[in-house]
Amino acid sequence: MAGSNVRRRKPPTANRISAYLLHHLQSLIFSLSKIYQAPATTIMTVAVIGITLSLPGGFYLFLKNIDAISGDFRSSTQISLYLDLKITEKKARGLEQYIRTMDHVASTRFISREQSLEEFRQSSGFGKSIDTLSSNPLPHTIVVEPGDSADTFTARNLLNRLQAMPEVEIAKLDTEWLERLYTIIEIAKRSVVIITILFAFAVLLIIGNTIRLDIQNRYQEIIVTKLIGATDAFIRRPFLYGGVWYGMLGGIISWLIVEIGYMAISGPLERLSLLYKSDMNLITYSFQDFIVLIACSTLLGLAGSWIAVARHLNQIEPT
Amino acid sequence: MIEFHNVTKRYPSGFEALNNVSLHLGDGQMAYITGHSGAGKSTLLKIIALIEKPTRGQALLNRINLNNLPRQRIPYLRRNIGIIFQDHQLLFDRPVFDNVALPLQIQGYRPQEVAKRSRAALDKVGLLHKEKSMPITLSGGEQQRVGIARAVVHKPMLLLADEPTGNLDPILSREIMQIFVDFNQVGVTVLVASHDLGLIEELDKPRLTLNAGQLILNDLDQGDAGGHDGWQ
Repeated sequence: MAGSNVRRRKPPTANRISAYLLHHLQSLIFSLSKIYQAPATTIMTVAVIGITLSLPGGFYLFLKNIDAISGDFRSSTQISLYLDLKITEKKARGLEQYIRTMDHVASTRFISREQSLEEFRQSSGFGKSIDTLSSNPLPHTIVVEPGDSADTFTARNLLNRLQAMPEVEIAKLDTEWLERLYTIIEIAKRSVVIITILFAFAVLLIIGNTIRLDIQNRYQEIIVTKLIGATDAFIRRPFLYGGVWYGMLGGIISWLIVEIGYMAISGPLERLSLLYKSDMNLITYSFQDFIVLIACSTLLGLAGSWIAVARHLNQIEPT
Repeated sequence: MIEFHNVTKRYPSGFEALNNVSLHLGDGQMAYITGHSGAGKSTLLKIIALIEKPTRGQALLNRINLNNLPRQRIPYLRRNIGIIFQDHQLLFDRPVFDNVALPLQIQGYRPQEVAKRSRAALDKVGLLHKEKSMPITLSGGEQQRVGIARAVVHKPMLLLADEPTGNLDPILSREIMQIFVDFNQVGVTVLVASHDLGLIEELDKPRLTLNAGQLILNDLDQGDAGGHDGWQ
């Protein structure tokens, strides 16, 4: 059978495997040299990919920062207990001592009726009208600060337990605005997911189109290599590596864009943070984020070129 | 090596390039295909090179039927053939050496082996000193010799040449033809399509003459040069 004879003419297996790896290496270097030889095209493609990816990347970091800041807010959640007007100050202080020993309570603060009235008189500017009151309408107040580990759920539990106490008239958890904020953040997070998916598609199309043009430009080369016995896989390889390079370089560019953008923002933001007497630190890409970003953009490059190659390479046949 | 049994090739346009052609080119033989342009020379070569498929009849290369060869086997079969084109079909983005080395790289030879064989092939066509040159800097004759070096570098069993001297002056043409004769002398089967009748007369080799798709002269039937079938 002639088939077996054909097989005999190939180099031995071990050599073929190393030659296979060698061709992967050659394709890698060859596609890189192609990129190097056409810097204008490459820079434009890579810049477009970089800009495209920097948008979801920037949003992601924005949310990461918001998350960190709102984490600070969470620990400042307070529960205000307004006690029954009939409770004496001595009893109220006793209650405060008791609450301090409860689970998930970090600290408590007692504000007596007189203190409250005094504070109100000073801060509200209604001093004179308050003086006309025959009795103090304000109750004793205990401000309870839940422990650091307390999330919204345990804070609510604590609230319910405190509310159940007979001495407590009203217990109020100052989290409603925080919950609104979290909901807004959640909406923003989902929007980022949608934006990321859309822009990933855009990158896929950009790379696919670049590789398609690349295939067209090297039409003659593909014909010739087919005629001298190149398999489809052999012809495909440099194009796939080309896509990998585009994706990887685009990822690096987007990382640079975001880093520079955050550097530009960080000055004014620090001033803002000073005005609010907080010490917010701007978070940029962590090393892990960077690796994920590059891995994703590289994968997108591979996928984009794979689509282009699958669609266009088989159509090219010598005639 | 090559067998055609009543091969007809009709293109979708209705044009009949080959009409009922039968021939047998044995191992180690050399022959010319002649005829006017449009007589079917190129189509005949394209069927052997697996670029076209016969509409009717059977074409065999080394007893492998070319009519219904699966697509994925085509590259491996082509590795047994060296093809030389009228317009050289060199890749102008890389030096001469890389052009010649390409068939070996495709077949997965080790780099040392690739270098050794590529230089040997370039030496055979007298262009070893040009290995680092870019093809664009070479003359037409030199480019054609690079094309030949690329076609023979992997020691194919069969050499196909389509008008290899088409654009060359008579002296260069003779040189090129002589290279084919030399390869034939070391056992390579050679099939050259050419309309350069003067040159063909000079080299005493069998002729196949096509006219409007029909084989009107077949020297191979008389003096079967007694090659043995199968790969060497």
